[in-house]
Order: sequence, then structure tokens, then C-alpha cells
Amino acid sequence: MTDGRLDSAVAATAYQREWFQGLREATAGGAPLAFVNADAPHEILRAMGIPYVVNQWWASVIAAKRMGPASLARLVAAGLPDDSRQYDALALGAQDLPSEEAPWGGLPEPSFAIAERGGDVTHKIFELWGRRPATDTYLLSRTAADPAPAGWWADVEHRWEDVFGADRIDLLTAEIHGLIGWLEERTGRVLDHDRLAEVMALGNEQAAWNRRTRDMLAAARPAPVAVTDSIPSVMVPQWHRGSAWAVSAARRLHDEVAERIERGDAVHPDERRRLMWIGRGLWSDLEMYRSFQEEFGAVFVWSMYLAIAADGYARYGEDPVRTLAARFVGLTDLLYVPPMSSSWYVKEALAHGVDGVVHLVADDTPGASFITAALEERGIPVLEIRANNADSRSTQNARVGERIAGFLRTRVPARG
Amino acid sequence: MRPAPTIGIVGNDVPRQLVSAAGAVPRRLTGSWSGPIGAEAAAHLGAVDPVTARILTELLGPDAPALDAIVVCNDSQAHLRLFYVLRMLGDRGIPPVHLVDLPRQEDAATRRFAQVQFTRLAEFCSRVTGVQPGSSAWRRAAAGERAVGDALTRLRGRRRAQPAGTVSGTAALQALLTAASVAPEDAVLALDAAEEEPDAASLRVHVTGSNHPDTALYVALERQGVTVVSEDHDTGDLSWLGVAVDGDDLATVTQGLVAAHFRRSSGSAVSTIAERASLCRTSAETAGAQGVLALVRAGDEAPLWDLAASATVLGAAGMPLVRRRGLTPENVEAALADIAAELRTRGGEPA
Repeated sequence: MTDGRLDSAVAATAYQREWFQGLREATAGGAPLAFVNADAPHEILRAMGIPYVVNQWWASVIAAKRMGPASLARLVAAGLPDDSRQYDALALGAQDLPSEEAPWGGLPEPSFAIAERGGDVTHKIFELWGRRPATDTYLLSRTAADPAPAGWWADVEHRWEDVFGADRIDLLTAEIHGLIGWLEERTGRVLDHDRLAEVMALGNEQAAWNRRTRDMLAAARPAPVAVTDSIPSVMVPQWHRGSAWAVSAARRLHDEVAERIERGDAVHPDERRRLMWIGRGLWSDLEMYRSFQEEFGAVFVWSMYLAIAADGYARYGEDPVRTLAARFVGLTDLLYVPPMSSSWYVKEALAHGVDGVVHLVADDTPGASFITAALEERGIPVLEIRANNADSRSTQNARVGERIAGFLRTRVPARG
Repeated sequence: MRPAPTIGIVGNDVPRQLVSAAGAVPRRLTGSWSGPIGAEAAAHLGAVDPVTARILTELLGPDAPALDAIVVCNDSQAHLRLFYVLRMLGDRGIPPVHLVDLPRQEDAATRRFAQVQFTRLAEFCSRVTGVQPGSSAWRRAAAGERAVGDALTRLRGRRRAQPAGTVSGTAALQALLTAASVAPEDAVLALDAAEEEPDAASLRVHVTGSNHPDTALYVALERQGVTVVSEDHDTGDLSWLGVAVDGDDLATVTQGLVAAHFRRSSGSAVSTIAERASLCRTSAETAGAQGVLALVRAGDEAPLWDLAASATVLGAAGMPLVRRRGLTPENVEAALADIAAELRTRGGEPA
């Protein structure tokens, strides 16, 4: 059994803390900061030397520091709802927390807020960021997943025009050009397209390491790495995508996983049930992922974070802006829109040999029933839990731990 | 004679002229405020606006409307999810389904994308009906829809007349819902026939928040001594009805419709908070409302984010805003019980 954390997870977390403090110092000195949604084209900011913080990462920090309820209360005080799109809105509420309460000393006021107009509310949340005195907002269109081919993972790296459709990519390409001009006007900097091509190449290299890592983990028995370790090991570098550090971090994770497999390390020595967690991370209760090991020999071997990093991000093409548009135009669709999503989860479940799936269904994720049905049709039992991952009130109400234990007892037999 | 094919429409982004020109009748599917939600619809759609879940319940049920095709607009997350679900249920006897996906911020790229969307919609309608519209069909469809627009103007005039209109909010909403579901000539009849004189002493209110798939809430509301003289939701005054573009070919017509799309106001889910607040105030003032009532049903999130800004903007204009959120068929009567009294207390005395 391996009790020690992955060095790559510890290193990634430490790097992120150090980076964040450096960011606070830089912005205090007048450097611009961008606050962006996960689906926005970060690579433009990296190529222009504009540091950025990702909304979903910051929300996960807020939730992990148990500041979610206080942040949501700030929204209520501003006349806004606390029961709508909490994962997207936490950071907005946290921004008005007293600095001594704010996680990691608080997020410096961003100069730019950038998001796509996904869903009914995210664009409004980013509009509100733009009402803060120091912040301007830029919104990109979010087109729908039409077409939605199954089996996209074989084609998406090179044949992305076929996967997403040229019309969608045309629109986002034009809008990214608009974003570049908007940033150039406000910063006085000019985007170097060769630099952007370099950033894209580094992102592809990072994705290639992630794919190798994912493939190793899929084949490994028993699981050598806890998902609570693989998540930061993948996601912190993901938010630094396109940097040399991110590539080295992805390679470090790969090498460390290979070493663990070579040594025969196991998250739990008596692994009798392999579980898949579909949905966003339960940031407010990461211990939950390991809490079924002793009693049930149940180990979570899969989360979407490494898997989508392996299959979802790599894009190769001649024009870096169009290729970047192809990276983002349907990223969320791959995870949530059937049949793209359902076929992919089945592929991953089979590759990882899971015995059961816990499927956390958030309010804003479409097509969850088709994912569940597709897995069940392949004989893989699924527990659906409807709750918001970032709102501890919601997950408490959903009795997550209790229900998983019941699911394991009744529907997921132990391996012989 | 064989009846014209019927194309069901979910959402408010379809220019009816494109459907009519291809020889089909556009029938807007709005669902209903109350009624059962089938287990299968609930499972597939998850936590969406229950009104949309009722549309799916109806489409999957034994009394599903006879439709030759369905067009779904990406004008709310609930509608988009419905499209994804219907696409997955293609082997369940669901007619052909098509998505209309319109961007909201106008620039050259979004205009091009919108034009592609309208062109694809027109081609889809032609595949359903087998009719490729020629010049006369485009002109005829424009004339039909323009007549709807004229009837709409007449209705608005009767409804907003002061000191008291001659059409209640309930009657107006019913006429709009009917008009959105029938051929242009029948739509004109429905709009012109709307009547039900409101009580001259009642409070004139503007309604914002959720859209209304049927008249149930308006009926309950108008029982409380108010008259809905205007609204800014997309099954009422914002219904995309009566917009016509003259032209002899698809390219010309779609170009004009794209321009019309970017000029119009939309529902909360696809509008900014600032747009909604501004529209709310302008609409209420233009209609001579004495107060604004925000009705937000449970499961409809977007309007919740508009309310604070709307209250500020309306407050600056001296216009009271009364809010009721989380409305369900079970709690609505209690929620609306004291609404007129609250509006009066907040300053909305009858003129």
C-alpha cells in the first residue's frame, strides 16, 4: 500500500502556491491579470505574457478551504442568488470576502474577465465581473454540439473540422481574433503568432504525456495512484498549459506513475472493486474518495481530469488561432453531450476495467441519463447522485458517502 | 386537399417566414405551467426548467401532437438539452429534429454564422415539405407574416390604451400563444379577436422574469386586481411574430432576417443583465405600468441574476418592483395572494 502522496502532486501544489504569491506581487506592481473560464482560449494570454487565473480552479480552492458558504452569502448580500451555478459564481462572491478570510490571501482584482456564453447564467456572472471597477469583460459565443459524432477521440487531434464542423470553428476563430485585438488595445502588447504556435505545440506535448499516463493507469492492476493525487498532478499543469513547466510536470507525473507500477505500488493492497467517478471533483470533501477502501476494497481509479487531458486537448494544425479555436469549440461537449460523452465514458470504463461508476450529475450537465444508460448497457452498475460539487450544503443533502456505501453493498460485487 | 405539414418549434429564434415559405405551418411548443412530468422526461433532462420537461413529456406521450418535424432553438439551456435528448431518441418515433443556434453579440462573424443557421433552417423546412420556395412563395410568406405584425400592433394598442385598455393581459397572452402556433391568416384572426375588458380600477403592471407557457399565472394574477399591460418575456411581447423581409430568394430573405435577429430583444437566458434591466424599465414605462412584477418559477435560473439590476434601474425611475421567485404550481396561489397590496404599498397606486 502506498500512503505517500505523489511527488508530482506535492510539487504541483507547491508550484501553484508559489506561482500565486508571485502573481499577487506582480499584480500589486501593476501587471495585468486575467480571470478566465475553463473553456476560454488561455493560450492567447500565455502567448501575450498575461497571467491568468481559471475560475474553476479558484472555485475549487475556495471550496476546499471551506469558504463556499461565506462566498455564496456575499452573493445574496448583493441581491444575487446563492442557489444557481454555484461552481461558476463562487469566485465572484469570494471577491468581496475580507482579505483575512479569502483563500490564499485573495484573488487580486483582475483587469480582464473572459468567458464563453455557455448556459443561461455564466455570461451574466462574467458580466458582473466586468462591473467591478478594475475589470473589463470579453465574452465569446458558445455554439452547440451539432454535429455530435461518437468515437471522436480517434479524430479530434487532426480531423477536428469533421468533428466540430467548420461553421462553429469559423465563428470561434473570428472571435479569438477579436479577443486578440481587444487585449492588444488594452495592454499595448502585440501577439506574436510564432509564440502562439510554440504555446500550442507545448500544449500538445503535455497532452501526449497525459495520454501515456492515462493509458498506463488504465492497464495497471492494482491502481497505483489515488485520484486525489492525480487530479492536482494533472489539473495544476492544465492551468499552466502551453508552458515548459507544464510539460515537465506532465512528464514527471508519467515517470512517477511508471515507477509506481514497476514497484507494484497500490493505493489499497486489497483492491476488490475499481470505481469510476464521473463528474466534477468533490472539492469540499476529497477524503471521501479514499473512504471506501478499508471496508469495501473500493478504489477510485478514474476521474475525468486526467482522461480529458489525455483525449480532449491535443489539436494539430497549421494556423495556431484556428487550431486553438478547434481546441475550445467543443471541449465541454465532449464531456457532457451525448453521444460524444456517453461513448467516451464507456470507452474509458472498459479500458480501466471498472466495476462500478459513481456519476455526480450537476444541474448544468446535459445528457447524464444517456451516460448512465450506456454504461449500464455494458453491464457496469452506475449510481447517479444529483448535487452541486462546489456547494457543500448540496452534497451534504445528497448523502454522498452513505449512498456510495449502499451502492457498493448492493450493486458492486467484490472481485473474486 | 392534404393539410400543410406542421413543424413544431421550441424556443423563440425561428423566423416564421422561413417555415411558411416552405409550405409548412409553424407551431410553437411552449409546454405548460403545471401538469405531470413523465419519469422518462425527468430522467433525460435532469434539473431543467420544468416547463421544458413538460414539452418532452408531451412529445413522448400517447397524445403527442402530430408534427412532421421539430425545430429547437438554442435560446436557453433547457431547450438545448431538449434538442440533445430528442436527437438521442430518434428511434422512438420522434420526427426529424433540427437545431437553430443563433449567436447574440452582433459582429461580422456572428452575422455570417446566423445566416448559415437560417439557410440550414430553410433547407430543413424544404426537406420536410418537399417545397423549394420561389420568388412568389417568399413574397407570399412575407405578406402573411407582415399581416401578423400589423395585427400585433393593433393588439398592443388596445392592450396599452390609457386610462384603461380593452384587452386584459390574460387575453393578450392567450392570443399571442395562439398566434405563434397557427398559420399567419389564423394568427391575424386570433390577435384581432382578443378581448376581455379589464377592470378600469386595477393596477397596471409590467411582468418580467420567466416566460409563460400558458395563461395560468396571468389568470391568478389578474384575479388580484392587477392588469398585465406588458411583459418582457418571449412568449408574450417578445414572441418573434410578425417579422417579414421582402425578397425573391433565400439569400436576400435570410440576410434581412439576420439583421432583424440582432435588432430584437431576447429572453433572460441569452441576454445580459444590463439589457434585461434596461428593457424592463423601457417596456414598463412605454406601457404606462404603475409597477413591475417579477415572477420567476422554480427551475428557471437566468432571471434570478437580473433582479437586482432591474430593481436598481426601476428604483431610479420611481417604479416599484415586487418579486416572487421559486414559483411552483403548488405555491403560486399563496405567493400571488398579496401582490396587489404589496405593489400599492410600494408606490404603485392607480392613476
